[in-house]
Amino acid sequence: MKGREQEYREIFIAEALEYYDALSRHISDLEKAPQDEQVLAEIFRLLHNLKANAKAIGFITIADVSHKLETAFGMIRNKELNFSDEVVTVLFDGIDMLGELITSIDSPKEVEPSPALLRNLDIIINSLSDNSAELSKVQKYYNSKNLSLSDLIYIQIKKLDHLLNLVGELIIDRDRIFSISKELDNDDLKNVSAHLYRITEELQYSVMDARLVNVGSLFNKFPRIVRDIAVAESKEINLDIIGQDIQIDRNILQIITDSLLHLMRNAISHGIEKADVRKKAKKSPQGNITLSAQNDRDTVILRLIDDGKGIDQQEVKRAIVQRGFLSADAVNDLRETEVLSYLFEPGFSLAKEVTEVSGRGVGLDVVKNAIDSIGGRIRVDSKKGEGTTFTLFLPTSIAVKGALLCQVEENFYAIPLMHTDSVVALPTAELHEVGDLLVADINSETITIVSLKELFNTDISEYSVRKNDLESDVQNIIIVTYNNRKLGLIVDKLLRQQDIVIKALSRPVNTIEIYAGVTLLGSGKVCLVLDVAAITRYFIARR
Amino acid sequence: MEPQNIRDKKDVAVEEKVHLIVFKLGNEEYGVRIDQVKEVTITPEITRMPKTPSFIKGVSNIRGDIIAIMDLEERFKIERPSGWHAQHTYTLVMEAKEFTMGFIVREVPQSLTLPVSSIDKAPSFIQDININENFIEGIGKYDDRLIIVLDIYKILTSDEISQLKS
Repeated sequence: MKGREQEYREIFIAEALEYYDALSRHISDLEKAPQDEQVLAEIFRLLHNLKANAKAIGFITIADVSHKLETAFGMIRNKELNFSDEVVTVLFDGIDMLGELITSIDSPKEVEPSPALLRNLDIIINSLSDNSAELSKVQKYYNSKNLSLSDLIYIQIKKLDHLLNLVGELIIDRDRIFSISKELDNDDLKNVSAHLYRITEELQYSVMDARLVNVGSLFNKFPRIVRDIAVAESKEINLDIIGQDIQIDRNILQIITDSLLHLMRNAISHGIEKADVRKKAKKSPQGNITLSAQNDRDTVILRLIDDGKGIDQQEVKRAIVQRGFLSADAVNDLRETEVLSYLFEPGFSLAKEVTEVSGRGVGLDVVKNAIDSIGGRIRVDSKKGEGTTFTLFLPTSIAVKGALLCQVEENFYAIPLMHTDSVVALPTAELHEVGDLLVADINSETITIVSLKELFNTDISEYSVRKNDLESDVQNIIIVTYNNRKLGLIVDKLLRQQDIVIKALSRPVNTIEIYAGVTLLGSGKVCLVLDVAAITRYFIARR
Repeated sequence: MEPQNIRDKKDVAVEEKVHLIVFKLGNEEYGVRIDQVKEVTITPEITRMPKTPSFIKGVSNIRGDIIAIMDLEERFKIERPSGWHAQHTYTLVMEAKEFTMGFIVREVPQSLTLPVSSIDKAPSFIQDININENFIEGIGKYDDRLIIVLDIYKILTSDEISQLKS
């Protein structure tokens, strides 16, 4: 994508100019206090970063000059080179040249570094003992005092949050105006509201876009973290990172940071086996972990894949019974994915020993809660002996979500698409009564079917539905999925799919579990957003 | 010394007043302090909210804010006078700290200013009636009217509401 490359270039230039400003400042400080180790270290760091960034984006000359300067400063730091007057001049010239190279990146005329200066730099780097070798005078053909302000600004995420909230409110009002203008059938009003519609839509996407960051800004912290954990666990890990340039809302990335870290720790300390065990299993002694990101329409999918020992279904089943979640009989009826979903229950841990980095009681339930809170989804797949994959489905943006609208009695409800699997119309005859619940065989899966009307009108402990209670011959069922489990919800009427802006319910009614929030429809009607996670939890506990 | 001084000052200064919004529940008059009332509006369409106690009538869209609506008569089990048929009711939108809720009242609420001194702290006999003593800030007297002043924050944060979990 050309647009994104251009964006990276701009970001690089803005950052590089900042580095250049800081370098100029620090080298002036250093001239006054040549012994100041801190300033020296800072210059060294700046040059090192500049070199790495320039190399990454392909500005080889800048990388080269930075490298030479970095070497020179490295020598000064190691006391191999004196910070003498001649050296100072060369270094000042070198830094000025860097500035010149950076500012001229986007100018049509390509600026070449002065050969004389490059030679001078080589001389001070290479002549360890005799640094008085003929340093030639460098002609300053570039204007070194060119003042300019950066093209990028930093902005507090709080301000963007506020902006996004305002846009959300605006969209709700826009939809209202749009539907009123249709009712009134006034051409002027229709034109204006159509225009308003387009503008707010563009505004919404601009604000959402401004909040996007690269997944890489989080992923790139992992090589170091993985190394540290691996050392602590005395394991060897090879980490592959894929899809750093996938973009996602900054706050969503922030919220899942701890979760991803937690999963990574688990993978290394519980997933990957020690080298000798791996050898016996005919695996490479190095454990392999892949951290990947990919886009799927409005969703970002993150995967953490390890080729470790995998999760033992039998062990999980035993733990389910031991911790009293289910009876031994019930456990044997569970499907594989359902067994694994118990890993996310509070207080469920398979860790036998507490190690330095993991197994301290913070379980996967915390991970799941974090992902639930942003309307995301997590699933785990594992094969004993082959490894485990955690997949996180995350919304790209928090503002607007696709949702399925349905009607139960006189009310409209929205179910986020993130949690909907499919919609079926099922003859009532195909439902079966099991205890107080209904189940159906849908695509050869046995799924618990819940009547939302009953759920809404009876206390959950008294929930019981017979086939006779259902009115029509055919039931509209929305299959929702949460934590590897499926549940069918009977609704009176399926309405449509629509993008909604979810508002939080205000206190004190924000604590009612089955609602994730509320939204206003274009008609001005209030529509409650159902919390699939909470509803699923009720019925999983019962089975 | 100290108490004496304070009393002197009070006598000299204009007597402290409290501004109430007064409404009827059952056959009695109730009041709330005006700074806790955000607005008074004709009750808009209410969307029922399943899984809430019956005194929560649902949620309404009041100028873009979604606000839960409570029926205080039902909440306090106050008997409604019979033969009441109004076309519409009114909603008082109450705010106390970060809590917001609309209260349904049947008649247009009135505004009333009375001296602080005319409000008695709730006497203990009130324990007998259905409204828990805690929800009553005091009993105000105005001419021969008796006005029960409610503590909104306590009503909005009471156990029944804060444990709104099914």
